[in-house]
Amino acid sequence: MTRKREIESPKEKQNRHKAMEAVAMLDKIRHDFSEPPKEMDYFYDLYERVYCKRESLHSKSVKVGTMCIQVPYEIIYALDAVPVRLCNGFYADDEIGSDLAPSKACPLVKATIGQFSSGNFSDKPDFVISPTTCDQKSKSGAIIEDMGYSMYDMEFPRTKESEESREYWRRSVRKFTKELSKNLGKKLKKSKLKRTIQKIGYAQYLYHQLNELRREPNPPIFGKDMFLVTNAFFFDKIDNWIEAVERLCEECKHRVKKEGKIHKNSPRVVYTGSPPVFPNLKIPLLIEQSDGIIVADETCSANRLFNDMVSVDEWFLYDMVDAIADRYLKGCTCPIFTKNYDRIRRITDLVKEYKAEGVVYQAFAGCQVYEMEQRSVLEAMEKEGIPILYLESDYSPSHLGQLTTRIEAFIESLKNRRRRR
Amino acid sequence: MHYFAGIDIGSTAIKIAIVDESGELIGDKISASGSMFYKYAKEALAELLSELDIAQESLVYTVATGYGRKLFKEANEKISEITANAIGARAAAKIEGAQEIKTIINIGGQDSKAISLDSEGNVVNFAMNDRCAAGTGKFLDVVALKLEIGVDELGEYHFKSQGTPLSINSTCAVFAESEIIGLLGNDYSIEDIVAGVHYSIARRIIKLVKRVGIKEGIYFDGGPALNMGLVNAIENELTKEIFIPKYPQITTAFGAAILASESYEYLEK
Repeated sequence: MTRKREIESPKEKQNRHKAMEAVAMLDKIRHDFSEPPKEMDYFYDLYERVYCKRESLHSKSVKVGTMCIQVPYEIIYALDAVPVRLCNGFYADDEIGSDLAPSKACPLVKATIGQFSSGNFSDKPDFVISPTTCDQKSKSGAIIEDMGYSMYDMEFPRTKESEESREYWRRSVRKFTKELSKNLGKKLKKSKLKRTIQKIGYAQYLYHQLNELRREPNPPIFGKDMFLVTNAFFFDKIDNWIEAVERLCEECKHRVKKEGKIHKNSPRVVYTGSPPVFPNLKIPLLIEQSDGIIVADETCSANRLFNDMVSVDEWFLYDMVDAIADRYLKGCTCPIFTKNYDRIRRITDLVKEYKAEGVVYQAFAGCQVYEMEQRSVLEAMEKEGIPILYLESDYSPSHLGQLTTRIEAFIESLKNRRRRR
Repeated sequence: MHYFAGIDIGSTAIKIAIVDESGELIGDKISASGSMFYKYAKEALAELLSELDIAQESLVYTVATGYGRKLFKEANEKISEITANAIGARAAAKIEGAQEIKTIINIGGQDSKAISLDSEGNVVNFAMNDRCAAGTGKFLDVVALKLEIGVDELGEYHFKSQGTPLSINSTCAVFAESEIIGLLGNDYSIEDIVAGVHYSIARRIIKLVKRVGIKEGIYFDGGPALNMGLVNAIENELTKEIFIPKYPQITTAFGAAILASESYEYLEK
């Protein structure tokens, strides 16, 4: 038999690796669970189009890449550009990034660097915004700028209680607005900014509507599907996303009422820690494959995107920009802050409101702030009598065995607790 | 005329190569190792000699290599398959007019290796898989059996794959088999599964190659090198062309035979 094909270029190889990862994850999400909501098909299909077939969604728009959740989407949309969040979950890109960053760095950061170094995007950003949130993101911004990307460092404070930090961040957001408007050659208009605040507010409202259905004794949707929904907000066309979630909400309202449905006996779990980003949904998946169900989360790839809305006193331009700044700082529960009691409060509230029976805390190996905050969260949960499992993981697809065993044992212990009551 | 034999007793097959005084390959034989390495190896050698019409006395020096080399008591010398593979690969590449060989990838029945050579053909570094048959010829056998196709058909199926090759993530051949059963259960095509299996083996072997360093002039041998689908997968993972000899299965035996002739010459002097 003779050889038949040309050897792939590095770009083709990277695309194949990523498509293989995406297909494998989508396969598990779709086939390992019974009866997902029908409207989830929109999202399954979206991920397949973007990550397996590399379809571009925003070919005609100016794209502003964001390196972290702290970049205000409202302002980007109001300047007629499209925000695309570039926090990356692909192991293939993590491997590429490992040659450029320390091997012990956070896999999400390495994967993001890896993708930039390959220059291989389905929607390539025209500008990139890097907030100086955690150390690794700040430094990776500089590494990426050296590769020739147009990069803007958006300064972010490390405390949020003081009036100084609030003012500092407000000035940073105003400066960002001015710079971006100059770069895009667009003037920020009052009416437009108001409309985008309302649009994103509506998206947040929809999320809350859907999320609240998860408080029911029989949650209508799996956590792994919710992560797909929230994750799609990173890159999808916002109007399509809103329509899809509207439909999903309607369907889930009916599902809740149906008797004898799937998840009544599954232990209810709150998920917190380093953000699961597609296709790195392995920990949420393992929880639900082990018969747990994630009813709520505290992560920047899901809940934190939607939890807090911009609250405006007066609809004047500068009031709106300041109100946006406040929402991004005050609502943030990222462990980069010196003290972070808000996060502990949020997790505790979620456990109570969603009647959760345990918490799973994941930290990426190399994400120092989540690793460091583990202790205070564990102590606080212990005080409240809430069982918590702490896991460290990376993007590598192998060695799932040990993680599986730990998660299964945790879910079993939650089941035993329920029985003893 | 004097003849020299290299006999490579592997976990799956016994490979024998015979060279003459000029070092030219006169004949070769591949037979199954079965359960009695020593007996089958002796029989195979006797058969090959009679096929080639060579008298027992003309065979003056024999070198044994491979897992079963220590069982073959008649051998004048025993060497590791790594040394034999290096010698055989360089000689085969020279005969076939290929680039000088600097890196060897070998996939056998139960192990896989990457060998790095210096410009004089000395082994400078090598890496082997860990006590596990994942990513070896045995793994391909298991896969083919499960998919109900022949091992020799795997290459064709690979090239017929239309979709994305499927990920096989398990490091263990037994778990990988259950992964494949899962994929079949979800109605994926055999073609995409086969391509996925080839890429999973390729990625594993690339890790070994990276450990010793990738130097151009890459030679791939062992039975699985006959599988052009696997060759394609390895080339794509390396993004480099690799050289496949005409008879990839007997490279190590050929190397042992060349060593036999050299040893004999040296001892006669």
